[in-house]
Amino acid sequence: MKHDTGKKVLVCCGTGCLANGSLDILTGLRQRVQDTACGAVRVEALIKATGCNGFCEKGPIVKILPDDVSYYRVQSTDLDEIFASSIQKNEVVERLLHLDAATGQRIRSQHDNPFYKKQTKLALRNIGEIDPTDVEDYRERGGYQALGKALQEMSSEQILEEVCVSGLRGRGGAGFPTAQKWRQCASYAASPKYVVCNGDEGDPGAFMDRSIMEGDPHTIIEGMLICARAINAAAGFIYIRDEYGLAVKNFAHALQSARKQGFLGKNILNSGFDFDIEIVRGGGAFVCGESTALMASIEGNVGEPRAKYVRSVEKGLWGQPTVLNNVETWASIPPIIQHGGQWFHSIGTATSPGTKVFSLVGKVRNTGLVEVPMGITLRELIFDIGGGVIGNREFKAVQSGGPSGGCIPASLLDLKVDFDTLTAAGSMMGSGGMIVMDQRTCMVDVARYYVNFLAEESCGKCVPCREGLRNLLNILTAICQGKGCADDLDLMAEICAAMAEGALCGLGKSAPNPVASTLKYFRDEYLAHIVDHYCPAGICKELTDFVINPDLCTGCRRCVKHCPADAISGNPKEVHSIDPAHCIKCGNCIDNCRFQAVQTMKGGSSQ
Amino acid sequence: MNIIIDDKTCPAMAGEMLLTVARRNNIHIPTLCHSDALPGQATCRLCIVEVVEKGRAKVVTSCVYPVTQPMEVHTHSPKILALRRTIIKLLAARAPHSEDIQQLMEEYQITIPRRLHGSSTESCVLCGLCVKACEKLGLTAIATVGRGTGKKISTPYDEPADDCVGCGTCAQNCPTGAIPIEEQPTRRTIWGKSFELLSCSVCGHAFTTREQWEHIRRQVPGISDTPVCESCRKQQLCAQLRRGHQ
Repeated sequence: MKHDTGKKVLVCCGTGCLANGSLDILTGLRQRVQDTACGAVRVEALIKATGCNGFCEKGPIVKILPDDVSYYRVQSTDLDEIFASSIQKNEVVERLLHLDAATGQRIRSQHDNPFYKKQTKLALRNIGEIDPTDVEDYRERGGYQALGKALQEMSSEQILEEVCVSGLRGRGGAGFPTAQKWRQCASYAASPKYVVCNGDEGDPGAFMDRSIMEGDPHTIIEGMLICARAINAAAGFIYIRDEYGLAVKNFAHALQSARKQGFLGKNILNSGFDFDIEIVRGGGAFVCGESTALMASIEGNVGEPRAKYVRSVEKGLWGQPTVLNNVETWASIPPIIQHGGQWFHSIGTATSPGTKVFSLVGKVRNTGLVEVPMGITLRELIFDIGGGVIGNREFKAVQSGGPSGGCIPASLLDLKVDFDTLTAAGSMMGSGGMIVMDQRTCMVDVARYYVNFLAEESCGKCVPCREGLRNLLNILTAICQGKGCADDLDLMAEICAAMAEGALCGLGKSAPNPVASTLKYFRDEYLAHIVDHYCPAGICKELTDFVINPDLCTGCRRCVKHCPADAISGNPKEVHSIDPAHCIKCGNCIDNCRFQAVQTMKGGSSQ
Repeated sequence: MNIIIDDKTCPAMAGEMLLTVARRNNIHIPTLCHSDALPGQATCRLCIVEVVEKGRAKVVTSCVYPVTQPMEVHTHSPKILALRRTIIKLLAARAPHSEDIQQLMEEYQITIPRRLHGSSTESCVLCGLCVKACEKLGLTAIATVGRGTGKKISTPYDEPADDCVGCGTCAQNCPTGAIPIEEQPTRRTIWGKSFELLSCSVCGHAFTTREQWEHIRRQVPGISDTPVCESCRKQQLCAQLRRGHQ
């Protein structure tokens, strides 16, 4: 007997869920379906692997259609129950549903989950819904229809005009108007022209491009094809950082299937138009995400940027007119052609239309990938979608725009996020990383961390960036060790100014942002380090002692258990104490105390 | 077309670099990494100037900024002076013993801030001229290695390079004298590799390494079999021309 359940089960196989064992979930479910083949009742259900659903904090995620039930943190031990209740029958496993922290209610559908409710999925529209290795899945959701329209119904000028009306700005960070870039490139007669996709996502904490390349590679191919048609380009390249193994694999697979289906290669869809795309694997240098360095790298040269006084649209890859856009930008093109520029322009703000994908990471409760209309406030992003700060600690700052972005303080939480507001606040959109920080984050240490990253990852070509970062790092390290002096802040500001104006490329010009923004918003914290030799967040070890406030300590022994150095003593229900001679200042006690009884003091003062 | 540099009207051709136009008109803009023979480095950033085009001001690097339209250029505006001073401080912190940098410090009346003092004892400022010179000669004995603050110029694996012919062009082009070259009567040592010097077959002056001479012979077919130094070659050429004239 056959029992066709009509069920489609989508198992999230994004990198986060894979790391949490979603492959076992996928094979486990498939096995259970298969095992019924020899039994009395053969169960039929479609089990599919999809890209990242975004809610990485609660992975692995399993969605069951058409019931529209989403299960979170699914383990192998849950599979029998899921199979019996939700696949063979139409029942719901309550305990695997999302628990809304605000209402205490279990939520059945993904659409009702507060994490997804405020999102508008455009670049991520297919991710989590389709199997990225199945081009038919993409086509079922309207994939390659925009290409058909662009090839058969639209002239080059009409494509350019549609993109122009949409107001789309480059999602790689700088926000340059996409249509303007394409138009300029189209205006040059030189041939061949190239189309390049920048998939060298290097910002720590950013994974939106990865998610698109892994979860919906065909949308990138389609976007590049449409541009190639508009500017009459001969070939395309996608530069994927080599660490993104799954992205390389899925994209290579997508290229093959696109060729098979006649979307790439000669005479595409009988239009007489030829175009193909090649994958170039990046070596992991952060600077190769800079467009001119990326092109140098594709050419086989050292990945160093050049001065952009002659733009890449005129002389880019191998000196030929080149359009380079970021993954997310390419992913936005097919819906713009399909639904019209006006439709896209109606989303977001007037100067930054559309949506933006952000990766919410750091001390935020719901770590993950979200796509929201431009103009959403930081508060909505971090508190409504992100669920606020872990452990209900006080929000201190959010670092946006990657390592060369800036730190935005709590006073600006109601800032409406778009390209221009972030820049005005001393940060930038960058690729869309949002690293949330709480009171246990030392802003001097944060600046030092990012400057250290940049000092290693700058290409090292020009003096202001390389030497500026070297000296900023020296100064910040000294301040964190309590060796700061009064002139340091002015000197750092001077170096920052020289870098911002004098560096060769966009990376060097924005590299002082972590220092400049923390100097602007958290100057008091710098002064505490320099003048008082005190780190208010209790992070800089030389400047911190941990002490237990006897009035607040309940003697619960939680800190004692978490102390890796056995530096805390005290009997149950008696006030505990920390032995400064043994304390390694790891901060486990303060992070684990439920009564705010562990407090920081100036280093050396408790001895 | 004419452009105005520091209130002086200067004729310029479209596509010419701003630095070239300024120098032709005797307007001094400091540089370390610029060489007329090996242009386009744009790494030292000393030659930054302020440009006003169509009413919009911006800071650009004059050695690689092409003149495309009428513009007003300020090479020593207060903003440029402040930025250039900081860049000199950063250069001085890296290569405090370089004569050129010391001269710049004098010219711009700069003392190294205490915090930056002694942060490095390098003399290389990574301008890249040596690497470019080597490349231009058809050799790739040296290259930049690594990135970020750890970047350096070196031979492959820091070992004596097979490709190095000991010509010393890298050292000649170095603005800060950072490439040690040791000359003895019959030997030259550079980049950890020692070379035998060949003498001029005319005057007997030891002037080239065996490897360099072989490299030249490969590059210039028909050159004489025996080494002839530059001044003797000039004399020979003059004599030939004279004979032809007669």
